[in-house]
Amino acid sequence: MKTNNTNIKMKLDTSPKNYGDILIEAKDVEVIFNLRGKKLKALRGAGLVLRSGETLTIVGESGSGKSVLSKTLIGMLDKNGTITNGSILYRGVDLARISREEDWLTIRGKRIAMIFQDPMTALNPLKKIGEQIREVIVMHCGLDARASRTAALEMLEKVGITDPERRYEQYPHEFSGGMRQRVVIATAIACNPEILICDEPTTALDVTIQAQILELIKKLQKDMGLSVLFITHDLGVVAKMADKIAVMYAGQVVEEGSVEEIFYDSRHPYTWALLASLPQLGVKGKELFAIKGTPPSLFKEIQGDAFAPRNPYALQVDFYHEPPLFEISPTHRARTWLLDANAPKVEPPEIVVKLREHLKKTTGR
Amino acid sequence: MSEPLISVKNISVDFGSGKKRFRAVDHVSFDIRRGETLSLVGESGSGKTTVGRAILRIYPVATGSITFKGTDITKKLTSSEQRDMCRRIQMIFQDPMASLNERAKIDYIVSEGLYNFKLFKNEAERKEKVMKALLEVGLLPEFASRFPHEFSGGQRQRIGIARALVMEPELLVADEPISALDVSIRAQVINLLNRLKESHGLSYLFIAHDLSVVRFISDRIAVIYRGKIVELAESERLFEKPLHPYTRALLSAVPVPDPEIEKQKKLIVYDPAQHPYDKEQPIWTEAEPGHYVLTSASELDKWMR
Amino acid sequence: MKQVPVLGPELFVPAKAQAGEEEQIGYEHYSYWRSTFRTFLKNPVSLVLLAIIIVLTLASFLYPVFSKTDPNKVALDVERWNLSPSQGGGIFGTDQLGRDIWARTWYGTRTSLLLGFIIALLDVGIGMFAGALWGYVKKLDRIMTEIYNILTNIPQPVLLLLLSYILRPGFWTIIIALCSTGWIGIARFVRNKVLMIRDSEYNIASRTLGTPLWRIITKNILPYLVSILIMEAALTIPYSIGAEVFLGFIGLGLPLDTVSLGNLVNMGKNNFMLYPYQLTWPTLVLALVTVSFYIAGNKFADASDPRNHV
Repeated sequence: MKTNNTNIKMKLDTSPKNYGDILIEAKDVEVIFNLRGKKLKALRGAGLVLRSGETLTIVGESGSGKSVLSKTLIGMLDKNGTITNGSILYRGVDLARISREEDWLTIRGKRIAMIFQDPMTALNPLKKIGEQIREVIVMHCGLDARASRTAALEMLEKVGITDPERRYEQYPHEFSGGMRQRVVIATAIACNPEILICDEPTTALDVTIQAQILELIKKLQKDMGLSVLFITHDLGVVAKMADKIAVMYAGQVVEEGSVEEIFYDSRHPYTWALLASLPQLGVKGKELFAIKGTPPSLFKEIQGDAFAPRNPYALQVDFYHEPPLFEISPTHRARTWLLDANAPKVEPPEIVVKLREHLKKTTGR
Repeated sequence: MSEPLISVKNISVDFGSGKKRFRAVDHVSFDIRRGETLSLVGESGSGKTTVGRAILRIYPVATGSITFKGTDITKKLTSSEQRDMCRRIQMIFQDPMASLNERAKIDYIVSEGLYNFKLFKNEAERKEKVMKALLEVGLLPEFASRFPHEFSGGQRQRIGIARALVMEPELLVADEPISALDVSIRAQVINLLNRLKESHGLSYLFIAHDLSVVRFISDRIAVIYRGKIVELAESERLFEKPLHPYTRALLSAVPVPDPEIEKQKKLIVYDPAQHPYDKEQPIWTEAEPGHYVLTSASELDKWMR
Repeated sequence: MKQVPVLGPELFVPAKAQAGEEEQIGYEHYSYWRSTFRTFLKNPVSLVLLAIIIVLTLASFLYPVFSKTDPNKVALDVERWNLSPSQGGGIFGTDQLGRDIWARTWYGTRTSLLLGFIIALLDVGIGMFAGALWGYVKKLDRIMTEIYNILTNIPQPVLLLLLSYILRPGFWTIIIALCSTGWIGIARFVRNKVLMIRDSEYNIASRTLGTPLWRIITKNILPYLVSILIMEAALTIPYSIGAEVFLGFIGLGLPLDTVSLGNLVNMGKNNFMLYPYQLTWPTLVLALVTVSFYIAGNKFADASDPRNHV
């Protein structure tokens, strides 16, 4: 047992140069959940690349697999879920192969930290705020009692909590929702992780508080050189946070690219639909572009393109064959047959065309 | 200007009693005209849902009056008036998962209001009305024999709309009808609400927390903060020239799905202590035609510049 | 599975839109009760227990019809007293007066089950309606809470003593005694559940539609409680049977000429040192009945939780 543990540590290559700027490269990840005898394929060959210092946002609706994908990165899949295929490379280690909790502890919290939608799931209501942060510091960074207390106070200050000495002694119920989320962020970054995964961290918060938390995450990222994997369904939040975007649908990444490429030059009909259906971009008095129907059930085997039944641009081929990822630029890829040489030319929805023109105007491209 | 459909004057709603008494809504006033969509925007705890529920007479008001087509509905109503109000003012709820009775079939859910007031001559007419309502919200009539469990969030929300629609309402109070829905479903529901507004001559009180979504659907917007309406204006005007610092903070906080705009935006944080209200009381003032703001005289000068 | 054509340029043509298909629901027909019973019956333990309950109930009610053995027939011949099964005393042996324990066990099971069924029915019936009103009508809360405090603070033996002075000890006295306090517990339980769902959006929706109170209770509230009420009933049955045995033990039970499991166990207990079989058999049947109801009730509660449905 011991030997295996040290093995992981030895395999974990911490030198910065060997892996260039790619921190995490997930390929063809397939995750199956066993729900009372039925199999649900939550991820159907999803992949992503997280580069050092950048923010990658994953957008998708509920059930698209965005949370599941992020949980595979820190070994927190629910017990009835297993990774059945694919690899997740992080510093020379395949995270998809790690099965023992002790091995995860060398990575989770220490090198990759995560914050969730509901801060109360991460906080113990019966313990003082400061002590909770201190515990994490003692566990992961191995500081002694005094040093860890100082570090915890520093962390509280870093996440914008005023009067940290007093706040240290308080309990979670004395904090507002936004303040709690700040505390959770403090615990997450307490040990200088290099990757921070944020799973809809502001969905439960009010817009004004949300804006402050988002600013905080951005600031911390800059100060600490964090790489952030940000999961959200809100394209407004995406526009604010992202350097790179991965759009997920039915357990796959259907389009990935830089923030400009996705917002101003998207190629996948699902991305078009997401953008065109936004009331924020709509023209008053006109109908919004609406996506019909509902996402497919992942209990069933999907044939062809999962989005085809709801896609007004669907080709016949979509109903039979799954499209590969077509490369549009070195950073931009999309999984749609519309990019095939044989495909007819189609005109995207009006709003998407407008966004493209907007890009031409601003960049002169 | 035509006579307002509903006129809310100075209403307050209190919760709790004795020392724990807490005023959730504090002297709120607004009108909704026929065929208009008025949005009430605020954060959680601002009292926006309470205002909506006071209009539906779920919560009693402590002060003020609500006049719907000439009748003050905060007073005790005769049973025929009550029946009329039930029909004319209907509600759409936030959470499609919680707003349908799981143990009843769609047929019963949609005709619940019809049963209550015997709004049909015979079984055939009731069935006909249910079918028509389902078709109007884009659902298949055969869904009537199913249970809510079988439907997705967007479909359930439309069932909720059908349930309100069979009553032939004139005012629909929509309490965050899209915020619990998936992004790909929201446009369906917004389009539907807009279409019904045209075809049925409906007026809406649209309660929401997201200013940018509300801009698309509303004629006028009221911003509510801690139980008080702080600003009310035509929706485009509110975006062009927000006066109250809270409105400005809210506008700066709402993320816009355009990275260019987001990059240039500066976040404004609202500090309620910034007002000189210890010296002069704020009053509900018409700053420019149709643009109201809660302000004191000296502040308004500053804001208008 | 449909025929898959080969990937080729001729497939790259716009697909025909299928009107209405996107509204088709992906889920199969779901019925709450069907799923509940399917989940319940899928579990082998519940299946076996349910079979035991049905067999015991049927047998105890049919035994008097088909058997001519009189459970109260005393043997005048001393030789027939206290005969163990191996000595030819019948299947379960005979007791100190030579009565056939096999027959007495069936008659006793019948009495005890009947007692349990009636009490469960009354407790749940009264508790359900009282609890629904208690939870839904805010004004009733004060009064009902007081009643609850009074009823639960009187020790049950005292109440039973009182009642057996006023009424004669007997089958219905025990029922009245046990029900007089039993319903309030269930009412309290139902009230707490109702408080949890009374302000959920679908109930507010009903209020905005002008639905009258009685229909909100019968259509919106009680259907959500049926599963837990069935469970409560299933748990009240073994409790009542146990209570009857206990009452017999402290001398407040059924009159001795009524055959019940309580009386049988008491009698057996007195002779246990000399004739252990007189206690063993009735106790075993008693345990089988109560444990079956108890576990089956819990299994049903699990099955009635929609989260456990597939």
